[in-house]
Order: sequence, then C-alpha cells, then structure tokens
Amino acid sequence: MKYVKIYLACMQTAVSRAAAYRTDFVLGNLITLLSNIIFPLVTVLIYANGAEFPNWTMWEILLIQSVVSMSGAISSMISGGILWVTMDCVREGSFETILLKPLPPLFYIASSSVDTSSVGLFIGSIAMTVISAVHTGICGAEGIALFLLMFLGGISVMVGLDLIMAAISFKWVGNSRIPEIFDSVREFGKYPLEIFPESVRVISSIFIPVAVVGFFPASALLGRFDTLSLISLIPCAGFLLFGVWLYNRMIRIYEGVGG
Amino acid sequence: MTAIKAENLVKSYTTYKRGSGFAEAIKSFFKREKVIVNAVDGISFEIEKGTVCGILGPNGAGKSTTIKMLCGALYPTSGRIDAMGFVPARDRTRYVNKIGAVFGQKSQLIWDIPPADSFAVNKAIYGISDEDYKNRLDEMTELFDVSEVIHKPTRVLSLGERMKCEFIMAMLHAPEIVFLDEPTIGLDVIAKSKIREVVREMNRKGTTFILTTHDLEDVEQLAEKVIIINHGKKVFDDSLQALKNVLGSKKIVSLTLTEPCIGDEIGGARIISRDNDFGVSLEVDTEKQSITDFLRDLTACGDFRDISVKELPMDMIITRIYSE
Repeated sequence: MKYVKIYLACMQTAVSRAAAYRTDFVLGNLITLLSNIIFPLVTVLIYANGAEFPNWTMWEILLIQSVVSMSGAISSMISGGILWVTMDCVREGSFETILLKPLPPLFYIASSSVDTSSVGLFIGSIAMTVISAVHTGICGAEGIALFLLMFLGGISVMVGLDLIMAAISFKWVGNSRIPEIFDSVREFGKYPLEIFPESVRVISSIFIPVAVVGFFPASALLGRFDTLSLISLIPCAGFLLFGVWLYNRMIRIYEGVGG
Repeated sequence: MTAIKAENLVKSYTTYKRGSGFAEAIKSFFKREKVIVNAVDGISFEIEKGTVCGILGPNGAGKSTTIKMLCGALYPTSGRIDAMGFVPARDRTRYVNKIGAVFGQKSQLIWDIPPADSFAVNKAIYGISDEDYKNRLDEMTELFDVSEVIHKPTRVLSLGERMKCEFIMAMLHAPEIVFLDEPTIGLDVIAKSKIREVVREMNRKGTTFILTTHDLEDVEQLAEKVIIINHGKKVFDDSLQALKNVLGSKKIVSLTLTEPCIGDEIGGARIISRDNDFGVSLEVDTEKQSITDFLRDLTACGDFRDISVKELPMDMIITRIYSE
C-alpha cells in the first residue's frame, strides 16, 4: 500500500511537471504520434501499389504494427524514463539525489519519470489496433487471453532492454546512441516472421525476442498463433529479470563526478 | 555516543591519462594509460551524536566523496563505516530514512513545479503523517520565512530561496543526521546567516550535522569538531578550539602608527602585512612574548594612533595546514 501511495504521488508530480509546459506537452505527444503513424503509412503505400507480404493482408500487417506501437508506448511510459534519467544523472553526477531516497532506485525513477509524451502514442495505437482488428476480425476469448499473455511478454522484453541499456550507462557514461541499436532490432518485430530467413526467426523469437513485441500477440488475435511460440515467454521473463538484476548491480560502480 | 565511525576508508577511481592537443587526442583514442586515483585514502574518524562536524579541505581533497560514502550513495573501495548501526551503502534503503542531505550544487527539488509539490512527494516517500508534515512544514517555513515562496515554481526562485527550500526538503522527515555539502555556496550574507541560524536551532534539538564547506565562517560559527582532509588523507581531527591553537597561541595586532614604519618587526613582533606606510599587522606569539611585554616593548618603540588585537584568522590556519 505504501508503494502504491508513493507511486501515485510521484506519478502525479511527473504529470504536473510535464503539464507545466502545455505547448511542449501537446507538441511532444503529437510528434510522437505522428512519427509512429508514418510507419504504418508505408505499409498502406506498399499494398496500394500492388505489392504485398505473402499470405498477409494489409490490415493484418497494420495490426502487427499497431501492437508494436502500443507495447512501445506502454514500455516507454514504464521504463523509458529510467533509461534517460539514469543516463543524465550518471553523466551529470546527480544520481546520489536518487540514492538518498529510501526506495529501490528503479522504483523511484520509474514512478517519477513517467514518459508523458507517449500518452498520445498509446491512445493512437489503441485506436489503430481496434480499427485493424475490426477489419481483420479476431478469434475468441482464447485468442484474446493469448494476446494479453504475449503482449505482457513483449513489454517485459522492451522494459528489460531499457534496464540493460540504463545499467550499461553506469559503466559506459553517455552511451546515448545505444538505444538506436535496439530500435533497429525492434523493426524485425513489425513484420510477419515468415518473411525472414530461419536464422533471423530464431534470433527474434528466442535470443532477442522482438517477435513477441508485435508479431506473436497479433498472431494470437488473428488465430494464426503457433503454441510453440509460447517458449519465447521464457527469454522475455529472462530479459526483465536480468535487466533488474544488472541495474541494481551496476549501481555499485556509480562514481559521481568531481565536487 | 558515536553517530558515525569510519575506519580506513578508501575510495579509488580508475581514470585515463591523456595529453592535450590534437595528436594526443588521436593517440588516446587508440591507447589510453589507466590511472588509479585514491580520492579518499585510508581515513578514519568518529563523529559524536548531536554535534556539528565540519569537514574541510581544498578543492579535490576528497570531502564530497567522503560525504557521499557516509550518505550511502557511494560504495567504499575498502574500509568500513558504521552509521547508527548501519553500513550505509549496504543498508541504504533503511539507513537513508534516518538521514537528510543538502548538496549545495545538486538540487533535490523538482525544477518545474513549486517546492510544496516536491515536499508532498517526500511526505509520501518517507511516510510522514499528515499532522507531523503540517507541523514540521509550518515550523520550517516560519524559521526560513518562505511561506509564500514554496508555492512558486522552483525555477523562478532565487538561489537563497532555493537553498532554504532544499533545507526544508531535507528536514521534513526529522532526520537524525544531516549532511550538508557546501550548503552556503553562492549565498548572500543574509541567506547564509539564516541557514546557520536554522542549523544551530536544529542542532540544539539533537540533530547531528556534518558539513563540508569552503566558507570558514560556517565552521567558526557552527562546528564543534573539525576534520581536515587533503589529498584524500586526514590531516587534522580535533575540536575547533584545538584547530585555532594549531599554530600556537598567536595573535594578530593591527597598528596605525604616527610615523612611517621601517624594518621587519616592531616591539619584537614580526610584521606580516602592510596596509600603507602607517598601517601594519603584526603576529605576536604569546607563548614567547606576553601581550603585556609586547605592549611595553611597542610603547618603547614609538607612538601609535590606534591598535586592535585579534585571533589568528581561520583562513591563515587552514592555509598553513593545507600547505604542510
């Protein structure tokens, strides 16, 4: 109960902070939303010009991409702040102000740095998912349950990777380009797994399970889910747990800056 | 009763040596020489509960690193800290509940919203009851005279107002030990005086304060115990009075003479500075020459228009210790 109160207090403050600059708040959300809906537009253009992904309709592809955007928005709200706040605090030497709070640092940063610029993306991606699902149709309760399970798995991967990248910044100060590498890897999750060679399928299902971010949950909704894909949930949990462990471990090497 | 005991505290950093200029920059891109720096190098001390302890030292001496280790924010490379029964870095979550800290150069207030909102977050974090929160906030805002200020966004506050709010933030949960890292840096005399007044008041109620500062007036007015660190090593650890006596029982005598002064000494005392032809300052070692003897010798030397006798200034004492 204590942690719920703290989370709410910190989150309210984060929202107040974001709302202090109204134009920035509105523009930030708008830009995040626009930059993320441009990608589905490419899919629309591909199909409009007669090309296609074999055995996949345009709305099915859009459903996968909407799910990726939705999990990206949620993970960004949960852990996007952790990554950037940690990077900034380590570089500026102000991480001790976080360590002075009688809380696990991860919890404090996550609750006090909710990324409000992803709210627009979250709402937009929900709308896009619903529109796509209306066109494709979705299978019953079992499909929805599998979707939720895989969707949580996808968020675990994204949060875990954010934590790993944040943890690395304790050692490798100022590694602001590292997230771009993961953003590139995440692109593989936006397409049906069948279009990739076998090696990429294995990597994106097991080693860096980005397929769980979009493709697997969307497949569950479409009734095209292979139950073998459930194995991917194991590395998803592994990424999250490893991220938490590594972050807490790396705090020990925090050095501050000259006073 | 001991509040903090540090034994053989060491904090080492790995850094890289690189020269200046373009060629060195290219060279160091491929090959860098690793250098181990001992920011804190085997220091031990004890701080009693309910005291105000000043930690002094020149820039880069290791004061802030020491404070950060005492706060639990940094893990010592070796050595041991016992703070109220806690090992700060290991027991951080439980330990920091009982301490407060003000870093003069790092704000804990949230920049874009009023300090009152930052205080409310701390209320939730430390689990302060509504009644305690109201009482303490009222008491502190009255002491600092910032009842209106706490409702303005932090970014529009003056440095003095912000520091007062930083203090309130650090004190709301009634910590037993408060660490102050250069708390009066950049403040005007009125703000400094207010902060010192509050530290004295809180200390009178039993709070232990540990402060690092370059403002020796902070130390003279607040500290009972002084620890001096230089190059990561402890070079002094005793009372403020003992620090004042460290160079012997010396006094500074300022004289305004009736005739221009010639020579290096007057009345057996060495001239240490000259304001003009008529105004000089002398250093009198009262262990070798009593003030009575000095005044008799001085009168025999000639006439003077004005005289004042002062203690040796702290900055002179500290400078001597730093240079040893």
